[in-house]
Amino acid sequence: MEKGGMNRPAGEKETPEFRKNNARLRKETLVNIRKLQSKLTKELLSTALFLLLSIAALNNFSFCPSLPGAIRAALGRPPSVKMISAVLLLYVFSAIILILARMMSGSGRYGGVAHVGYLAGFYIFYHFSGKLPENFWAVFAAGATVFGLEIYHLWIYCSEAVENEREVLAFLDGKRGGRE
Amino acid sequence: MLKSLTARAIIPVTVSVTGFVVVCCILLYSIMKTDMANDVTTYETNQARTIVKSTRYAMLRDDRESLANIIDNIGTQENVEHVRIFNKKGLIMFSSNHSETGRLLDKNAAGCIECHSGPVPSATLGDMKQARRFINEKGKDVIAITAPIYNEPGCVQAACHIHTAEQKILGTLDIGLSAVPLVNNLAVMRSRMVIFSIMVLLVTVGGVAALLRRYVFIPLRLLADFTEKAIAGVEQKIPPCAAEIETLAGNIRSLVGELISLRQEKARWKKEE
Repeated sequence: MEKGGMNRPAGEKETPEFRKNNARLRKETLVNIRKLQSKLTKELLSTALFLLLSIAALNNFSFCPSLPGAIRAALGRPPSVKMISAVLLLYVFSAIILILARMMSGSGRYGGVAHVGYLAGFYIFYHFSGKLPENFWAVFAAGATVFGLEIYHLWIYCSEAVENEREVLAFLDGKRGGRE
Repeated sequence: MLKSLTARAIIPVTVSVTGFVVVCCILLYSIMKTDMANDVTTYETNQARTIVKSTRYAMLRDDRESLANIIDNIGTQENVEHVRIFNKKGLIMFSSNHSETGRLLDKNAAGCIECHSGPVPSATLGDMKQARRFINEKGKDVIAITAPIYNEPGCVQAACHIHTAEQKILGTLDIGLSAVPLVNNLAVMRSRMVIFSIMVLLVTVGGVAALLRRYVFIPLRLLADFTEKAIAGVEQKIPPCAAEIETLAGNIRSLVGELISLRQEKARWKKEE
């Protein structure tokens, strides 16, 4: 290893420089592990947010006060249900392709809260066009698919990355099984 | 188990295909449901117009007996839940259900409110706005249409009973058909879609799993067995594999070959010593 000269022969005395680099690398590794763990937690929180939003949509946002007529008129006519459905289909298709592409490339990027935003948009558009009860399950299935794939991808990615970081930690601690 | 190579190959495919097919099916079902309901409404509107046209002569002649007879006969048709004609004031003049003849309708009731919501009642409504769906007193799901009977020059000029030319609407025909055939068709369509989705899912996931097993997992298992046995000192051959795995198999073969020759040389040296 190049950082801090980790491959020192056994028995050679550790210099202050070596100890300093070792501590820095150890700190960095621990930070990386925490970042990876929080990445998965953030995705799970986004999923929980989506579920909460879905519960509200299932009740047709009945707890929300209805929009005043003036604001409704100012917003104009909602798009047709067929158009909203076509856009939803396009969204699910592109989201699935993007996540599969990330899985293939081994990238750790994720949509997270952005997906909650998109799905909330679909719920709201269906709500204002008065067709939410008929199309609720379509949006919910879209969200479940997107979040299911993202969570699986992130879980695999993060657990592998955390395992790699733990191997680095084990090596720094001088335990066997560390990365050579 | 969820981190195994098999799971990593199958789970994303299963989730993607299932999710996409389910979303497509729900959206398709929703669109087809709306289209079918609109078709029923159009059919019912045409039927209402036909009834209005076919009763026109009896109305012009003020032949109430014939009119009542026509309404009675239409009312005996299968899936026709009610037919009635009421005048401008909302008084039921003719009905397939004789007990409601002479009863006054509430202007705020479903089917009336669409035109009577404003201070001046609307004279025209779109086909879809004329339709209403409700559960009747027999507990049956009904799709009903209210078709206005417009004032025509013939009505104004008729000698038997006079309407003024300013009067736009003389009365309304209300016909209600059972929604049971529509509900049954939708249920059949729903079950077919579920079967179709399951079949698509099984074919896709089964196909991907079978191909992966045949071309990836079995060759990998054979290579793993081969290397394990080579380490244990047992000689065997790897069957030919496909494409990229064959390259890997070739490399393993040459490595194991070298290992065997080294072992043999080592054994020969030991003997010579």
